[in-house]
Amino acid sequence: MFLDLRKKIIESPLGILFSVFGLVSLGLLTLYSITVMQGQASPNAFSKQLLFLVPAFLLMITMVLLPRRLIHKYIFVVYGLIIIGVILPFFGQKVAGTYRWINIGLPFGLQPSEIAKWIIVIALARYLSDRNLQMKNFGSNIVPFVIALIPTIIVLNQPDLGTAFVMMAPIIPMLFWVGARPFHLFLIVAPLFSILAASNVFVFSIWAGIMAIVIFMARPKLWHAIGLFFVNIFLGLILPWMWNSLRPFQQNRVLTFINPELDPLGAGYQIIQSKTALGSGGFLGKGWGQGTQTHLKFLPVQESDFIVSVIGEELGFLTLLAMLILFSWLIIRMIRLAQNASDRFSGLVLIGISTIFLTHVFVNCAMTAGMIPVKGLPLPFVSYGGSFLFSCFMMIGLVLNFGREELD
Amino acid sequence: MLKSPNVVSKSKFRVMVGFVLVVQLVLTYRFFQLQIMDFELYSQRAESNRIRAMSIPAPRGLILDRHGEIIVDNYPTYILYGIGAEIRDKQKNYNVISRTTGIDTTILKKNYKNYYRNRFLPTRLAKDLTITQLSRLEEAKNDLSGVVYKQFPERIYNPKIRASHVLGYLKEMDSEMVQKMVSESDYEFGDLIGWSGLEQKYETKLKGEKGVDYYQVDAYGREAGKLEGEDNILPYPGNDISTTLDVSLQQLLEFELKDKKGVGIVSNPKTGGILAYVSAPDYKPDLFTGLISNTDWQEVLADPDRPLLNRVANGTYPPGSIFKMVVVIALLEKKLISPQMEVFCTGSYEFYDRTFGCWDENGHGKIDLEQAIVQSCDVFFYQAIQKIKLNDLAEFGKVFGIGFETKIDLPAEMKGRMPDREFMNRLYGRWGWSKGALLNISIGQGEILVTPLQMVAYTNILATRGNTQPLHMVQANDGWIEKPKISQRSWSLIQKYMGKVITDPKGTGKRSDPKIPGLKLSGKTGTAENPHGEPHAWFIAYGEKDGEMISVVIMVENGGHGGEVAAPIARKVFKHYFDDSKSKLAKT
Repeated sequence: MFLDLRKKIIESPLGILFSVFGLVSLGLLTLYSITVMQGQASPNAFSKQLLFLVPAFLLMITMVLLPRRLIHKYIFVVYGLIIIGVILPFFGQKVAGTYRWINIGLPFGLQPSEIAKWIIVIALARYLSDRNLQMKNFGSNIVPFVIALIPTIIVLNQPDLGTAFVMMAPIIPMLFWVGARPFHLFLIVAPLFSILAASNVFVFSIWAGIMAIVIFMARPKLWHAIGLFFVNIFLGLILPWMWNSLRPFQQNRVLTFINPELDPLGAGYQIIQSKTALGSGGFLGKGWGQGTQTHLKFLPVQESDFIVSVIGEELGFLTLLAMLILFSWLIIRMIRLAQNASDRFSGLVLIGISTIFLTHVFVNCAMTAGMIPVKGLPLPFVSYGGSFLFSCFMMIGLVLNFGREELD
Repeated sequence: MLKSPNVVSKSKFRVMVGFVLVVQLVLTYRFFQLQIMDFELYSQRAESNRIRAMSIPAPRGLILDRHGEIIVDNYPTYILYGIGAEIRDKQKNYNVISRTTGIDTTILKKNYKNYYRNRFLPTRLAKDLTITQLSRLEEAKNDLSGVVYKQFPERIYNPKIRASHVLGYLKEMDSEMVQKMVSESDYEFGDLIGWSGLEQKYETKLKGEKGVDYYQVDAYGREAGKLEGEDNILPYPGNDISTTLDVSLQQLLEFELKDKKGVGIVSNPKTGGILAYVSAPDYKPDLFTGLISNTDWQEVLADPDRPLLNRVANGTYPPGSIFKMVVVIALLEKKLISPQMEVFCTGSYEFYDRTFGCWDENGHGKIDLEQAIVQSCDVFFYQAIQKIKLNDLAEFGKVFGIGFETKIDLPAEMKGRMPDREFMNRLYGRWGWSKGALLNISIGQGEILVTPLQMVAYTNILATRGNTQPLHMVQANDGWIEKPKISQRSWSLIQKYMGKVITDPKGTGKRSDPKIPGLKLSGKTGTAENPHGEPHAWFIAYGEKDGEMISVVIMVENGGHGGEVAAPIARKVFKHYFDDSKSKLAKT
């Protein structure tokens, strides 16, 4: 029995742990710089993160040892439970203006939506790996959306736009992986683009042109094609009209929800500070513990959401580049494992998890660099935060588990 | 396992990896752009170390009268701020400020503590600085660090009128209020928010949007120009609101009610728009801006006449005889009396073991329904009211809005009280009250309570036979009031009687007539007994000339007889409106 478990661990693709180890170390180094080196007494973000690593590691081992068969069998039950889990915080107290955390008497709150991210992925994988599924049917593309949308809508109300985005992100790559027709995928994203493009007549005309070409090339039935084209055009036309019918304060509320930078004394100020910290770091940085911008506490969440600006300021472009390479390597390695997986279910879980990581990395870095609005997504393995660290290590556990050659 | 085999083409793998690489390259390029290409810009910015963000207040919308005359305007004052991270030696800075402006250092310290948010945001030290104080401060600028000021629009009011209970006032946000706000980004410490009256009701319209100024600050805490690459955000001024008020009428009524306790309201019965709204005594509307001293405030608070009380909407009074039209309409509609009914008034009326007096102790002699209204004979009503049940009377009281909010577009109003059976049972117990209570209610005394505002709505219904709109100060609340189900015969009779109140030689309201050719007046006086001394003097009336109509409600607390005290004030209003200012006709 014991030998069996040992074998299970040893046969896992342990190589990916090197990059995880590298990223965790980078995070700890940075946390050390902004806490201990600034004379903050324990417990601080550094010491707590160090402590979190112990349960995180144990959780990872647990996920490695869980039989895949059991995961496959019970995932829909777990999915039901996690939906209850993301609703629960609404009955508790508001923390920092949101309903994200459950307080169960521990010294820190639990965030069920963190775990929900990858539970959705496994549920999607279970659905999409069904033998009888016909991906040629457009309808088969809709069910995955329902599976992901239910928890997403709840999380949107918490409100947590970032997490909601991460929950939806794996669908497209997973559908692609399982063989959905690219034209169907295009149909799914098209309305979103139509709405986004609607604000500018020029952009919208270009988009309408692209749409026409794609639809023409896909050669669907004629009335399908015409219907499709005009529904999208209609969406684009009706949106500005709906927007204008809103009262100014309602418009503002929507805008601030999508883009908190419109609160210029709050998030807008943060972005300016974050860019200044990053930019002033230069190629090699100002040196470990020598950051001036970050240590002046310009950035309120520098230990979690804005940790990249600390790294960029103190350790420079070179370190950020190394960090991005580590992430790329980790994610590409997961895709490679997905390709070699023994069954479709495993492959899909791996693809989904790699998408979660990629989304986190992109949104966090792009936000810190002022490319996209502030969304409050932490950076995997690097940012401070218990729930998120546990979730990341559990995902790595799943990757090790599903990436293992197993013929049973 | 029951799973599909994993068949994935090489090209799918390539697409996925390609996508990952593109995303990573985008990020890499962005970091390269910030850290390598723009390194100079950002390192300079980091050198100067401080970027200051100051919110620019948006000018609040103005409040205008019906002719576009400004009632509430904005006036520029200056606010002084300290920035924690930039002030070196706070005490020294405080001393310099105190020396140049005369503001006590303890106040500066207290303010700094109150408004402090963080070291990098400007914290308010003092407000309402004048240009003189500012220029002296400017001279001493070299001794200061991290001290800045900015212009701040403060409310200033039309000197002709006060209208303080209508306009309301602004309050400064404190930390508790900021936390209670739904959307915190809208307000911050020290911002002004409408706290009563129109300022509160139309806050979202008047408020406008704040802007932001970003600028660079050098190591000495001095401004070092605009921040490159970041645009300022301009403030967006609030919207003006056009009220239905008429400044000249308001001015007249405020003058007439000066040194009295009471109310005066003028409205347009056809539209429900309020032309004048006076609750006396009142206070100066700038009492709550920073321009007034603390002692004035104490004086207002301690005044036994309670100037802060809005008597129009929040004062409840017995209506006295002005309630009698409700009684007559109820009796007529229920077919319990005819206009020919006659009663002999001896000056008092015996009801079982109680004696109910008429206001005229000498008695009115033989009197019919018309004269009972014209001379306001109480004995007639003591007899007539015995024919009706309390609940039937209450039904008609409610039709005229007694016991309900008028829904005027001002915050906070009282509902008054129209007693019915259930109410009396609750108050006195099932057997604790008798028909005697009804006799009291018939002349608008006892348990019945109304607000003057309700009496305005009541007068407007009488004037238009129910074809009126809800009361309003700004825009017409869309729609008409629910039309009372009352026969045209009753309306005609009651309007005829109310006309006689003014024109009959014995009419109690004749002193309200300015004797303008073509002006037809109708009204009713009231003299409401109360435990606080002399009776309250009531007068309600409406006048029409050439299709133009206004209604007037006057009430003087403990003033005496309605016909002698309140009616002459109404005469001034009618004279002013229909004679002096023919051009200023009510259109809304």
